[in-house]
Order: sequence, then C-alpha cells, then structure tokens
Amino acid sequence: MNLEQQLKLQAWVDGELPEAEARQMAAFVQGQSEAQTLVGELRITKGFLAGNEPEAKLPESGDFYWSKIQRAIEQEEKVAARAPGASWTFAWRRLMAPISGVALIAFLSVLSFNVFRQQSVDDGANLLVEVENLSEDIGSISYRSQSENMFVVYLYKKDVQEAENDPIAEPVDDTFLQ
Amino acid sequence: MATQPEKPDVPDEKLVRRAQRGDMVAFEVLVGRHRDKIYARAFSMMRNEDEAVDLSQEAWVKGWQRLKQFQGESSFVTWMTRIVINLCLDQLRKQKRQRAESIEHLEEELGGVERQMPTVTVNPTAGLERTELRARIDRALNLLSYEHRTVLILHEFEDLEYKEIAKRMQCSIGTVMSRLFYARRKMANLMASYKREELS
Repeated sequence: MNLEQQLKLQAWVDGELPEAEARQMAAFVQGQSEAQTLVGELRITKGFLAGNEPEAKLPESGDFYWSKIQRAIEQEEKVAARAPGASWTFAWRRLMAPISGVALIAFLSVLSFNVFRQQSVDDGANLLVEVENLSEDIGSISYRSQSENMFVVYLYKKDVQEAENDPIAEPVDDTFLQ
Repeated sequence: MATQPEKPDVPDEKLVRRAQRGDMVAFEVLVGRHRDKIYARAFSMMRNEDEAVDLSQEAWVKGWQRLKQFQGESSFVTWMTRIVINLCLDQLRKQKRQRAESIEHLEEELGGVERQMPTVTVNPTAGLERTELRARIDRALNLLSYEHRTVLILHEFEDLEYKEIAKRMQCSIGTVMSRLFYARRKMANLMASYKREELS
C-alpha cells in the first residue's frame, strides 16, 4: 500500500470519508490483508487513547494561581479604562496625519507656484529694467546677463571720468543683482 | 482573595451568566473548578510546567475579557479549552520559528522513520490499569514531535475533525492526515515497546 492509500484508510477509520468512498474503502479492506492489519493497529491506537488523556495537576496553589489571574485582569482593565482617551487621541492622530500631509503638499505647491510666478514676473521686469539716474554728478553703466541671472550697475563720478574719458576706471559703487 | 468561594451546587451556566455581568467571584469559582483541566491541556501541548502555567493563566484572562462573546454553543470548559489551545499553538509557532529544523525532525515530519515501523497487531495496553495506561501515554507523548503530538491531542482528546485541525494549525488537511498517521504509528510502536520492557 502506498502512503495515499494508507491515509485514505485512516480517514475511513476516522469516519472522515464521504459515504460512497467509505463503501469503496470497506470493499478494498475486505480483500487486502495488509490493509486489515493497518486498520487493526489504527483501531487499537484510537482505542487506548480514547478517554485516557494524561492528567496534570496545577503545580501551585489555587489561591496563588487565582491571585495572578486576578491581578492580570485588574491590570488589563486599568489599561482599558485609560484606553478610551488614548484611543481617541490615537484615532484623531490617525485622521489628522493624512490631512496634515495633504495640507503640507498643498501649501508647498501654492508656495512654489507663487515663487515661480514671482520669478517669471521678475524675469519680465528684468528685461524691462532701466536705471534711472537723477544725479547730475554721477553717471551709470549697467550690464545684464540673462544666462547668469546677473545685473551689474557701475556708478561713477561724471566730472572725473568724463574728464579722463574713461568711464570704468574708478567705479565708486557697484551693485550685483542676482 | 485568600479564601476560595466554593459553590458546588451552582452549575457552570449560571456562574458564567453572573461572570458576564461582571461578577468576579463567580469567575473565580469557574477558575477553581476547571483550572486543572485547562492547565493539563496546556501542559500536554507544551510539555513544560512553567509555560503551561503562564499560558493557562493567560487563557483565563482572555476568557474573562471575552466572556460576553460566549453564547453557550459549547460548554464553558470546552470554550476555555479552545482558548488555551490557540494560545499554545501561537506559542509553539513562535518557538518553531526560533529553532532550526534538524534533519531528524525533517525525517520525522516526512514519516521516514514511522513508515519503517512494524505494524502492531496485539493491543499493547491490554490489562493495564488506567493510571498506568495514562502514565505510558504521557511518556509516549513526550517523545513525539510537537507537530505530531498536537495533531494527536486535537484529534483524539479534543475530537476535532481534520478540517478544524488544519484551520487551527494553519496547514493543509493532507498535512494533518499524514501527521496524524505518523503520530499514531509511532504511538502504537512506543506502547508496544513499553509492553516489551515490562515483560523482559
């Protein structure tokens, strides 16, 4: 007999086979001495185990055993009594965590949109920028690099520079706009 | 509570109803009545006194917490036994994950040894007194792997069907069938060897 047949035989002994299969198995066992021997062993084993579970006595006093159970129950109940507040806070945090996340993303999106929009406005303004110099004594020369995002203004004293005919020889001030 | 409130005439059902309403004294009586049985089930599965005490206590705590869910479809002690079995199975699974599987253990799982054993044809327990029979069964159970022992206990002592055992042990019905088969074969041969010891 192979293992599959042996397991089926056991299922038959245990009354786990459907009726039709159980009938087939009964017929099979009748003509098979090996199967009959195995069925005999399975029935002997089932027989001596039935109702003979080993007994075990608690190795400590009943009072001590109960006192530990009672203490554990009381401790659990204290935790449970605190739990409603804690669980409310926990539930609130659980609710707020995704909302906070969404709010943060929305805030960053709006912020970055405004920054870029401001930058593009600034870029446009840079293109149009003009240095208006109202001073009669000081002249100015401006330089702008779009690729470097840089705007430089040189200021010079008109009388000195114009006299020397060299406007960038002694700049009095320069400003970098980046 | 120092003194055990004995209420021998009060049936379990009544005590359970009182405990369900929060009567701790009623629950204490139930614990006193069934503590040995619940402990014995934990011990038969764990084979360790300390673990059995801890798990049986945990079962009683869980029993108290879930008492409102107990509808009385089975007896209270059966319900409590199922709780302790589940706790033991969880604990055994944790232990199994922690220990490396030996080749011998794998052999046993596959039935390499059990399949070679001679078939027992004469009842090796015939004529034994019940106490001696139980002692021998206990001795033999101790030598089974926890998988074989557990499936045998759940089938023979808890009367669970293959399907229910598979669900509780989180394995297939086929695995339950083979484990039960090998467990029985080994059990029969161990009992036969004890008989031979006695005669020699």
